[in-house]
Parts: sequence; C-alpha cells; structure tokens
Amino acid sequence: MKKIGFFLIPLGIFLVLVVFLFQGLFSDPRELDSQVKDKQVPAFSLPDLMQPDVTYTQDVFNGEVTILNVWGVWCVTCAVEMPYLTKLKEEQKVNFVGLYFDQDLDPDFGTKTLTRVQEEVTGMLSRYGNPYQYNIFDVYRDTSLDLGVTGAPEHFLIDSRGVVRMHHIGDINPRVWENKIGPLYDQLVAEQQTNVAGSR
Amino acid sequence: MRNWMFVLLALVSVSVLAVEDNYGFDDPEQRVLFLKLTAELRCPMCQNQNIADSDAMIAHDMRRKVYTLLKQGKSEEEIITYMKDRYGDFVYYKPPVTAATIWLWALPLVFIFVVLFLVMRRPSKAPLPDQGAKLKQAEAMLKQDKS
Repeated sequence: MKKIGFFLIPLGIFLVLVVFLFQGLFSDPRELDSQVKDKQVPAFSLPDLMQPDVTYTQDVFNGEVTILNVWGVWCVTCAVEMPYLTKLKEEQKVNFVGLYFDQDLDPDFGTKTLTRVQEEVTGMLSRYGNPYQYNIFDVYRDTSLDLGVTGAPEHFLIDSRGVVRMHHIGDINPRVWENKIGPLYDQLVAEQQTNVAGSR
Repeated sequence: MRNWMFVLLALVSVSVLAVEDNYGFDDPEQRVLFLKLTAELRCPMCQNQNIADSDAMIAHDMRRKVYTLLKQGKSEEEIITYMKDRYGDFVYYKPPVTAATIWLWALPLVFIFVVLFLVMRRPSKAPLPDQGAKLKQAEAMLKQDKS
C-alpha cells in the first residue's frame, strides 16, 4: 500500500504539471482582459479627421452596430487589413468607424501638420480601399487610453446601445471574422432589428 | 585608445538618458514618485518591460498620462487605479490577492508544510546496537595483530 503511494503521488503531481504547462502552450499572452468590455463607450468629444469643425461624442454609436477601428497610416498591419475591411463593408454592409491617431509625440513626426496627415490618409485610403463611414481624430490619444488600446490595429465591436461587446487586438482577416467577430456581429445586428421592430 | 573609447561610451549613454528625461517637476518628491510609478507600471505592448523602459507608443502615452495626473496632484494610489481601470490588473507589476493569484503565496507555504510533515513522520532510526561489545571485539582484534 505504501509503495503504491510512493509511485502514485509523484506521478499525480507530474500529470497535473503536464496539463498545466500544456495549456500554457496555447495561451496567448497578448490576450488582455479588456476593461471596457460590456461597458458604455467612455465619454469623448473629438473632431472629424477630414472636417475638424465636425465634432463627435460617444452618442454617435447609439442606434447602429459599429466596429470602431483604431488605426493610423504609420501602421503596416492596418494597410494589410484595409482591403478586407472594405470588402466586408461592401458585401455585408458592416459599419466601420475609424479612430485615427498619429504619432505626433515622436520627435521625427512632431511637426506634422493636420493637412499633411489628411493627405497621407487620403492617399492610403485611395490605394487600399476606404471601409470607414468617417474617421474620429483622437488628437491627444486620450480616448485610446480610456479604451485600453495598446497599439494599432485594434477593433471594438459596439452594439446599438453604445456598449462595447468585444475588444479585438490585431487585424481582421477572413479567419478572425468567421470565427470570432462575425458571429457576434450578426447576433448584435439581429438584436438591433428585433429592438427596432419591437419599439414600433 | 581604450581610455578614449570609455570616455566616448560614457558620453553616449548620458545623452540617451537625457533624452528620456524631459519632464519638469514641482519638487523632488514628485520626481521620485514619477520614477517609481513608471518603473512599477507595465507596458501592455512590450509585455516584459515597464513603461519607463519601453519605447512603444503606448508607453510614451502612459508616461505622459502619469506625468499629467501627477501634475494634477493625484496620489500614487489614484494613478495606479486609473491605469488599472483601463488596462486591468495586468498593468501593475504587483498582483492583487485574488482567488486565482493566492496560490503565488500559498503554494510555497503548502510545500514547506508538506515537507515538514513528511520529515517529522519519518520513523526515527533503530537505536544503535551496543557500542561497548563492538569496542571490545575491536580491541581483541588489535591485540591479536600486535602479538
């Protein structure tokens, strides 16, 4: 009896350790628990990138399911995903809004004027396709900080009540759309339609 | 030649440090607190660096935010909470004690107690056989050798 324990206990500990470490192989260290998930979009008041006189607030997300895409012209992955986002917009009428920020803190880019930024944005959108309804210009990157953005590209799936339902770090490609974002997006759109029908 | 290299290297590193340090503070305590906070807050982008070391844009932004909040007179606790509200517990190098993290402290203690228990429970060795008899035997053998 004692001998069996002598072998079984280390074996048990070993197996527990194997399971624990095996799981670790597939865990994604970049996966942060987003703090804005299931909360209202934090309050902001920011200008349109192209028409600085137009001001947006968090209320723009009320009434329609939106994917808020954090991006910039300096971001290579953003350029890669842009054609696919444009395709989603054209084929599935996905409502993309851009949250644009520039690297104005960087000494090399610090003197960039708004006109220059706009030129670069127009250039990039005409080259890769324009998925955005409009772009919100996060001038001091405060709203990005409030949303818990770590870099670009990142996406926030926002329901028709202005609540963040998913925070996706990284690009949207066919695999991510079909497995992760698409199903929830379709569900939210369906919810919105029943809500609209119910309120009539 | 070698000495000159050292001097050159020393100059280079000083100027690098000086670039990073372009924030002005009201008093030395505020500066110390800024350095402490940027050393204890973790960069969400470059995961094994604090925001003082990291050159990611988000680290720049967080340093700037820490600075702004300090200037507004926020306390250390308030700034940490501010960052945790946005980036989760992940952002602070000292983890809070929760059901999931309690094991970080509990496991070593459990281990110590298990080992102590095993050591205590081990049956003490059988008492040594009579030494006197053995000594006599040895002495007899020695005498035999001498004779």
